[in-house]
Order: sequence, then C-alpha cells, then structure tokens
Amino acid sequence: MIDDLGIKDAFASITGQALLQAALVIVIASLITIAIQKTFPRIAEKLGGKPRLYLLASVPLLRLLIILATIVGVVPILVEPSFENMVAIFGALALALGFAFKDYANSLIAGIVTLYEMPYRPGDWIEVEGQYGVVRAIGARAAEIVTPDDTIVIIPHNKLWNSLIANGNDGTDNLMCVADFHLEANHDVSRVRELLRDVAFTSPRTKTWQPVLVIVFNKPWGMHYRLKAYPFDPKEQFQFISELTARGSAELARQGVKFVSVPVTVG
Amino acid sequence: MKDTNNESIVDPCLPGGLIPAEQWELPQTSVRRSLRDGIRHALEQLRAGVTQAEEPFESMDELPELSAAQQNRLAPEPDYSDQARAIASSLEKARAAGSLSRHVVCLVAPPFSGLQPALARFPESGHSYSVESGGENWRIITPPDALAFDDHEASAWWDKQDLSGPWVIPELADFWLRQLSGLALVRELFRRIANGDTGAGIVGCSSWCWRYWGQYLENVQMSPWTTAAMDAERLGVWFTHLASVGGITSVTARTTEDGQYVLPLPEADETGKSKSRKKRKYSTFLRDLAAVSRGNPGVALAIWQRSLRARPDDDVELDDTDEKPAQRRGAAHCWVVPLSGLSLPSMPQSKESITGFILHGLLLHNGLDAVSLEAVTGVSSYELSLVLSRLKRAELVACDPKDELWRVTSIGYPTVRRHLQSWGFPLDQF
Repeated sequence: MIDDLGIKDAFASITGQALLQAALVIVIASLITIAIQKTFPRIAEKLGGKPRLYLLASVPLLRLLIILATIVGVVPILVEPSFENMVAIFGALALALGFAFKDYANSLIAGIVTLYEMPYRPGDWIEVEGQYGVVRAIGARAAEIVTPDDTIVIIPHNKLWNSLIANGNDGTDNLMCVADFHLEANHDVSRVRELLRDVAFTSPRTKTWQPVLVIVFNKPWGMHYRLKAYPFDPKEQFQFISELTARGSAELARQGVKFVSVPVTVG
Repeated sequence: MKDTNNESIVDPCLPGGLIPAEQWELPQTSVRRSLRDGIRHALEQLRAGVTQAEEPFESMDELPELSAAQQNRLAPEPDYSDQARAIASSLEKARAAGSLSRHVVCLVAPPFSGLQPALARFPESGHSYSVESGGENWRIITPPDALAFDDHEASAWWDKQDLSGPWVIPELADFWLRQLSGLALVRELFRRIANGDTGAGIVGCSSWCWRYWGQYLENVQMSPWTTAAMDAERLGVWFTHLASVGGITSVTARTTEDGQYVLPLPEADETGKSKSRKKRKYSTFLRDLAAVSRGNPGVALAIWQRSLRARPDDDVELDDTDEKPAQRRGAAHCWVVPLSGLSLPSMPQSKESITGFILHGLLLHNGLDAVSLEAVTGVSSYELSLVLSRLKRAELVACDPKDELWRVTSIGYPTVRRHLQSWGFPLDQF
C-alpha cells in the first residue's frame, strides 16, 4: 500500500544530512516555542491589565505560526516538494492519524479551531464540565487550567465539539462576581438594596465604572439577594467575593436584618 | 477650544481660564515621545521585579541645581489668591456670556492644579455673588472632624451649615470616606443641590473624587467646569508670570543639551506668526513637559523646578541674596535639563494590589491620615506603614507634618497615575 501511495518514492531522496538539517530546524523551533511559552507568561504577569491579556493570547498564536513555519521549512529539506510527493505524504499522514490517533488528531484539529475561534485564551476564567479555573496554557492537544485550589486540570480541546464552555471574562479583564445573601423576609427591600450597593462601591477592589447591580428574588423561605460587581483584577475575584460577603453580612446584621439558615437533618 | 478662550490666555495666573469639563483636551505630543514614554513605562514594570532600586527623582547631568532661594525667585509656588481672583473673574465672564447658568458650579480639576488652595482663598478674592445675593461675600464650608454619619445625621449637619448665601467648598474630597458610614454627607449635599435647596455656591472637587461620585450617583448631571490644560504656550506664559512674582521681569532659559531656547516664548507679530522663532532655535521642552504632566500646572511646575540649572558662572545673575539692586534683578538666565536627562520617580517593587489600594485611596480622598487610610483600603496598619515608607523613599508620597496627611507628591503623580492605569484601577478624566 505504501508503494501505491508513492511514499517510497517520496522519501527515496532523503539523505542523512537532510535528516540532520530537518532535526536541527525542529529542535530550534521547539526551543523558540518553549522559550516563548516560558517567558511570555512571566513578562505578562509583570505587566498587568490589558497588555497582560494581549501577551498571553499571543502565545498560542505564535506557537501556531512557528509550527507552520517549521513544516514549511522541514518538508522541502526532506522531500522534493512536488504535487505527487505532497499528496503521498499528506495522504499517508491522514491514514495514520485516522486509524491510530483518531482522538489525538481530533484534539489537534480542535486545538487549531481553538486558535481561530478563541473560545478561551490564556488568562481567561473558564468552566468546562464543572471544572472552573484560569487558562494557564493552550497546548496543541489540550488546555491547562489552574483551579482556585491550585490544581491543574488538563482539558482536551475536543471538548469544544460537545461540551458547554463558560468563559467569565472572554479575553478582557472584566469579570463579574456575585455575592449571594439569603435573608429572612419582612425587611425594607429597597434599603437593603441600597446598602448592598454601597458595600460594593466602598470596596477598594471594585471597578466602579462597571455596573454594580443588586438583584433580589422572592423565595418561599425569604429573600435572595445577588450583589453583582466587577473586581479591578479577575485574579482578585475570590478575595473580592469574600470581602463583599463579609462586609455585607456585618452591615446587614448591624441593621437587624437576619439571615435564613437551613436546619440540618441527620440520617 | 482654544479659540473660544483666547481672551483668557492673557490672564497669566490662570492661562486658558475655566472651561466646561467635557471640552478638556490632553496637550498634544509627538508620536516619538508617546512611543518612548510607553516603552519606558513597560521596561520600568519589567525591571520592577529584577532590580531592587528605589530611586527618587534622578538627574543625569552634573550641573549645579538651583538653591532654594534661587528656585524661589525663578520658579516660586503660585500665589493662590491671584488664582482665586482669576477663577472668580473667569466665572463671571462665563455667567455674563450665558455659558454658565447654574447657581451651584462644580469645579473639577486634577490634584496639584491649584484649584483647592485657590478656592480656599476665594473669600479674599474680593468678588461677590452679586446677582441674587446682593453682593454677599463667599463663605467657606469646612468639613466636620469625623466623617462617619448616617443619613439623618448628615441631613442634620447640613441643616446647620448656612448654604443660603454664596458658599464655597474648596475640596469635596474632604467630606467623605470610602466606607459605608462615610458616604452620607456628600450624598445629602448632592441631593440638596439637585433639589435646588441651596443658594449660589461653588463645589471644588478633585478629579479622582469626582469620577467616583459620578459613577456612584449615575443620574446626577452637574456639568462641571475645569481649568484648561496647560499646553506649551500656556506653560511658558505661566512660568514667566511666576518668575515675575519673584521679581524677575524676563527669564531666558536654554537647554543644557544644545542651547536651544525654552523661554522667553517666541514673540508673535500681527499675523500671529512667530517673529523670534525665525532667529532663535526653540526647544520642544515645554511641549514635552505639557505632555508628561498631562497639562497639570502643579506637576509641570514640580518638574520645571527640578530641571532648572545654574552654571557656576551664572551665579552672579541668579544670586541668592536679595540685596541686589532692583535693576540687576530684572533679568535672569538659567539652564534647563531636557526631560530625557531627568527621570521621574519610579514605582518600587511591591504587591501591586496593596500599593494600588493605597495610592488610589490617597488620590480619591486628596490625602488621608494613616488611620483613615487603613479604614478605607482594608490594609493592615503594619503593612500600610511598610508600603508607605517604601513609597516615601521613592518620592511618590509624602506626609504633610502640618496635618499628618499622606498625599501623593506632585513629582510622583505621573508615575502613580500611569501605574494605576496599568493595574486596572479607575482613573480620573484628566
């Protein structure tokens, strides 16, 4: 079958020197990729704000460009880039991938689609199948996220085809946080809404130019308030929510508004 | 914008006069300068993690700096009473022209623009609000010692203030604290102003504080006015005026680098074209200074003071003593270090968020004591004192011994603003 595809002819001209050259190009490309993947996130950490996000987003894009450049550089070194040879090589590659590495190829193709559609970028806070965290790196096959508990979760790109991906900040530094308050009924709702809005506005972490909203729901057990605001840095989201909750709770208690509590049943 | 305010340019105390805040424009700068500043700022941020240097304002030349007395004569602090008169006159003109019709005017300006000290001297300006009040003098409203009020207490406090006649609040930032019990006074004041419950008044407000309250009270439209940004020409006029206050009638300032002229400004002929520019080569120093300071007079003056140099042989002309005959004190020659030869204070390496909370808190409140700063930022007193001492060594903040308030320094303001922007903090409009 290899003869039928013309693979043998295509690789007939490969010499030891050509192999060495190709290996050198691949090693150099790999080193550049590794250097970019290591240094760019470090530089980005120091920059903060929008430049940080742009720099993080450029990492997978640069890697794609380097991969393409390496392929374009290596193929002519190994084989004569004629139409027949190209068809032979890519045909064989497609067969091999199709049979042996179906899932791997699936993830690789999804990885390329990820770079184009950008459902998540490094620095984004995403949730995939119940796992929430910040995208640390986007590899060829999978993305790495770091959860708030400092656990790294590897998410294969092929989740893109059939999973719901929630992105909290979508390439920006605007990430809405929500602090929930479950209160007993029979209190002045508008006063509590004003008070919770003030709680957000008096937090030094709040982006005051973004909306600060207080939503209230009437539930059978009482009132459910949701205080929504944006922290100045998405990384601060957990401290931000904790601070809003703590200060809001203290002030509500001071105002005599009581929280509801669910009775715990054993057995 | 400039054309509509040409008549105000002649007032050297307040070049550019007052303008509606939405007409404020950043002084223009060259693309080269913008790129250089951007790259320098990015490198500074990257270096912050590598070097431990905490350098205050640094000069890279070896010329002797001016002594305090020389500086006092050549670039003294402005006389804020004159500025108060200029503001009053500018407001009167705007009222006469019909462009200002509100009883209560909000004057918003960035820190160091001189608005607050000028408004504090407003009653001395000799102007009275003569339309409705029958020539009554302006009354300064001073903030209470403690700022924690609930809504009823705030209302009772304002009831005790006489807001029926012409009144002035030099700095609204002194009337609030960013904590739950610290908002009531300003909220109540705006409610009264919106309801028309007050007489004629002027509310001076730091641009940072104004931005916060504009976002907090999203439905309040106060149409604030501000001082026009200082461009190169206005800076030249103002620096010459300041030197004239120090007893110097004409200043010649040239750059140490290439001897190009900074002052006097090129004279314009009848057609508005420069006459002297043809003969002399002029430096872009003032244009660059206007851009670096974002048109802020206090910041520009601080950098100007630092950039002035005397050569040893110039001591005769810029003598420290005041015993010189009047005719010999008329003219002064000095040298100016180009901005590329000076570096503004740099941000020391520390936790971005804590440093940001502290600096942003200081700008929002136009200065705070350590206790209030702790309450506003939520930073522990131990960490607060550590960060403040580092920022002080870097010349970014200073504690005023008179009132024990920590404030951002005028020379450090551009660095502070730029870093707060990088860290994602809400900025002012200017």
